[in-house]
Amino acid sequence: MPADAETDTGDVVSSSSGGPGGDGPPVADRDSVDDDGYVIGSGRSGIVRRIDHDDFDPVGTLVLIAIYMAIVGVMWVFMYFVEFLGGDLTVIG
Amino acid sequence: MEIHKYEKVWLAGALLLIVGLIATVSYGAVGAGIEMVGDEGGQVDPASLDEHPKFGEPGTYQTGEDEYDVYVIAQQFSFEPGTSEPIRVPADSTVTLHVTSADVIHGFEVVGTNANTMAVPGQVATITIEVDEPGEYGLLCNEYCGSAHHAMEGSLEVVPQSEWNESMVVN
Repeated sequence: MPADAETDTGDVVSSSSGGPGGDGPPVADRDSVDDDGYVIGSGRSGIVRRIDHDDFDPVGTLVLIAIYMAIVGVMWVFMYFVEFLGGDLTVIG
Repeated sequence: MEIHKYEKVWLAGALLLIVGLIATVSYGAVGAGIEMVGDEGGQVDPASLDEHPKFGEPGTYQTGEDEYDVYVIAQQFSFEPGTSEPIRVPADSTVTLHVTSADVIHGFEVVGTNANTMAVPGQVATITIEVDEPGEYGLLCNEYCGSAHHAMEGSLEVVPQSEWNESMVVN
């Protein structure tokens, strides 16, 4: 077991950094790269689905932002037109 | 650069917010006539306020029909008038408050309303307000002015027209 661990560590160092203290781009483990490319950090899995730029559809984020905008808008209208302009003793001069 | 369609949506929304904020504040200034406190009140010598023609005898002065000037001195830790006796103005009138300080920077806030200004020694803050219904408002200092700042408060009394009398004005 100690021998295996040392061997693994040595492999990682030699394949990913290329030298002591080096911080260049990581080098892929050749075994995890197939013909379709690979995703850094994803181990041996390949690309499952390739989509175009506008096919990315974070509709949940859109809804969250829409709700947030609506809250900000309603609060602004309430704060300015109801609380401030509708308040007593408004300074007019 | 390719911008995602959703990103365009929230860029437009953010721009709309900015334009909306500026538009509403512009409306308040132009349409609703909200004024800021300026420097048109002029300057006074804070060390000799008692020699000032109005601050020498602070209180409510009648300047026209349903128009009143109120001179208020803020000092550690009271408003004069305001604290020992309330500021009295008649209902349904236009009131111009002239506020200055005799010592350090104070605040002059009619609690729960938009009438709010700093009281700066040497500078007269002038704010004009319209008072309608009779009632009583609180006054407080909202600028830290010393050890008893928290106790610096007073009241503004809007007196019904039927109860208003000459003894409530200085002039």
